[in-house]
Amino acid sequence: MTDQDANPEDEEIILAELDDGELVEQMHEDLYDGLKEEIVEGTSILLARKWSADKVLNEALVEGMRIVGIDFRDGILFVPEVLLAANAMKGGMELLRPLLSETGVKPIGKMVIGTVKGDIHDIGKNLVGMMLEGAGFEVFDIGINNSVEDYFEAMEKHQPDILGMSALLTTTMPYMKVVIDEMVKQGIRQDYIVLVGGAPLNEEFGRAVGADAYCRDAAQAADVAPAMVRARQAGG
Amino acid sequence: MSISPQNRSDPGRGNRGEAPARRGRRRGAARRGAARQRLTGARESAAWIERGIPHFDLLNAEALELIEHNAETVLEEIGVEFREFPRALTLWKEAGAGVDGERVRFPRGLCRSLVQATAPKEFRQHARNPGRGTIIGGDRTVLVPAYGPPFVHDLDKGRRYATLEDFRNFVKLACMSPGLHHSGGTVCEPVDVPVNKRHFDMIYSHVKYSDKPFMGSVTHPERAGDSVAMAKILFGDDFVANNTVLINLINVNSPLTFDATMLGAATVYAENHQATIISPFLLAGAMSPVTIAGTLTQILAEALAGMAYVQLVRPGAPVVFGSFAAAVSMQSGAPTFGTPEPSLILYGAAQLARRLGVPFRSGGGLCAAKIPDAQAAYEAANTLQTSALAGVNFMLHTAGWLEGGLAMGYEKFVMDADQANMLAGLLGGVDLSENAQALDALREVGPGAHFLGAAHTLANFESAFCRSGVADNNSYEQWRQDGSLDAARRANVIWKQMLRDYEAPPLDPAIDEALLEFMQRRKSEFEDRDY
Repeated sequence: MTDQDANPEDEEIILAELDDGELVEQMHEDLYDGLKEEIVEGTSILLARKWSADKVLNEALVEGMRIVGIDFRDGILFVPEVLLAANAMKGGMELLRPLLSETGVKPIGKMVIGTVKGDIHDIGKNLVGMMLEGAGFEVFDIGINNSVEDYFEAMEKHQPDILGMSALLTTTMPYMKVVIDEMVKQGIRQDYIVLVGGAPLNEEFGRAVGADAYCRDAAQAADVAPAMVRARQAGG
Repeated sequence: MSISPQNRSDPGRGNRGEAPARRGRRRGAARRGAARQRLTGARESAAWIERGIPHFDLLNAEALELIEHNAETVLEEIGVEFREFPRALTLWKEAGAGVDGERVRFPRGLCRSLVQATAPKEFRQHARNPGRGTIIGGDRTVLVPAYGPPFVHDLDKGRRYATLEDFRNFVKLACMSPGLHHSGGTVCEPVDVPVNKRHFDMIYSHVKYSDKPFMGSVTHPERAGDSVAMAKILFGDDFVANNTVLINLINVNSPLTFDATMLGAATVYAENHQATIISPFLLAGAMSPVTIAGTLTQILAEALAGMAYVQLVRPGAPVVFGSFAAAVSMQSGAPTFGTPEPSLILYGAAQLARRLGVPFRSGGGLCAAKIPDAQAAYEAANTLQTSALAGVNFMLHTAGWLEGGLAMGYEKFVMDADQANMLAGLLGGVDLSENAQALDALREVGPGAHFLGAAHTLANFESAFCRSGVADNNSYEQWRQDGSLDAARRANVIWKQMLRDYEAPPLDPAIDEALLEFMQRRKSEFEDRDY
């Protein structure tokens, strides 16, 4: 197996000396390598060069993560590597987020995500959260064992585009319907995209509980979520 | 976010943490290439598996001594026939055995002492690529493709007689399979080439299309001689005179009979210091008693007689204690595979070989299935696991075997080669290094979180688990989207891609030319014959 660390062609470079095009390209590479410090620095440099926050977000970070996402979907990159890339992305996002909200740029999307009541399994849910952050989403993870009230409180507070619910147990997954039914009852179901996921679910279950989509894994969630938000925004 | 990988200042990847923003340029692209390579499994073949786990010792010392005693009784009282091969009888007479017609009876302990006096405990078999030369014996396991099928099978064209093209294909596939350490011998029988000339093309194909070690022809002493001659062209006369470059399968015509063909080939190879595998070929119930103890007794007697003969021809010539044991269906007479009794025989025979002090050959991905179906998979898995745990040193038939050895399956080959990688993991044993103890990981993650982003995981994940290239572990929906393929259909995609990707290992053009010239000359010296 080739070991990139042993590559003698590696040369030391200084990000600030690169022109914009080279720097953005290097940031794509650094995201792929999950280099958080370098992504933070690259983001700062572009901002100092008077790039707008949303241009940095889209051209440097989201595009870089798009490549990561493709290789994860194709089985080329592995979970730990994608987590590292998403963490690097998050480093850049922390700089951009205040600027984005100052300038009134609409974020790519916001999501509240949590495991349903009675269920404390959260690894899959966490992966979905990370992947969506990698896709430029603002993700509010409300953890495990969430009641209807918890979900409603979080939706009220964060005004997300998407509510994501997760369950690992066949005994807890029906609770998703309880949450959705309550949303219908209170007349807020249409205000949100509802995505559901978890090992014992399938498409049919997703439809039956009244979700907008069932996502079979984190990679698919990262494809579906932005697409649905875009479609919704386009539809007015 | 609870998933945020923390303590990521030193993830064990890259040389970070020195001056800010300094690191290799464009590493991502290089890594992308490396990651893709990881996916396609383009990794270097090991030359053997070094055993890191104990043997599964089925029989206690008392049981083994009983079988050894009974085997000596068979050799002394019943004897072994050496048919139509007077030289063997002469050598046996000189060695002190009783010869009555073609029947040879051995004083107790004679065969054993001949083997133990001069047969090596282990030996090196050289390959034209020095990095792929292997060692047979000791705590090593060498995995080898299936041997001998006249038919080939694949999902597209079904079952048909094998051709030279099929032969080349399987040599290429074995060359590309990192879990296989050997190119094998008659990976399938190229029936489109005359019987008396196909050995040239088989040897040439092993040399030309692979750089792993390979096996010589045994179907006639002259063909064994041609195999040695071609090996000399490849390795040089002096090198072959002093080193083992060919290993050769000598089957016993069980029960208790060696024929002139096998003895002739064994003699040629022994004289040239090349290795022979003396393999009792037993379908228990037909060619040996129906019991495990009785069959083990016969295996030991036959293997001892054959290996001792080789030592008489040339003391010190490398020999391997072979065993091919299956059971016949008492209902139909058909051979069966993956059943418990041959596994018990295999465990016992491995112990007998270790006690004798010679390398052991057995096992493989044996099955009676006609196609790469569930029967093929579980029968093969039973024998592969047994062979690994038993301590087989030379595992012929590891990949491709279908239908009791009548057919070489393209898809089955890929499935078995995938399992060969798994065997390396199993036999590797348990790493107890500080890194493997992983206390750092446990401290880092603590209760209730996950290890997927832990620094320890990042530093170790690539090599932590054997990954199957054939198995589908995706979600049901993903599997549906990918075409709802079963293992055989996925393997079908893989072998075709492998053959498209194949690149021949470089061969010195002068050697190539000399081999072709030798073949042409030899082939013109006699008429084509189909016997």
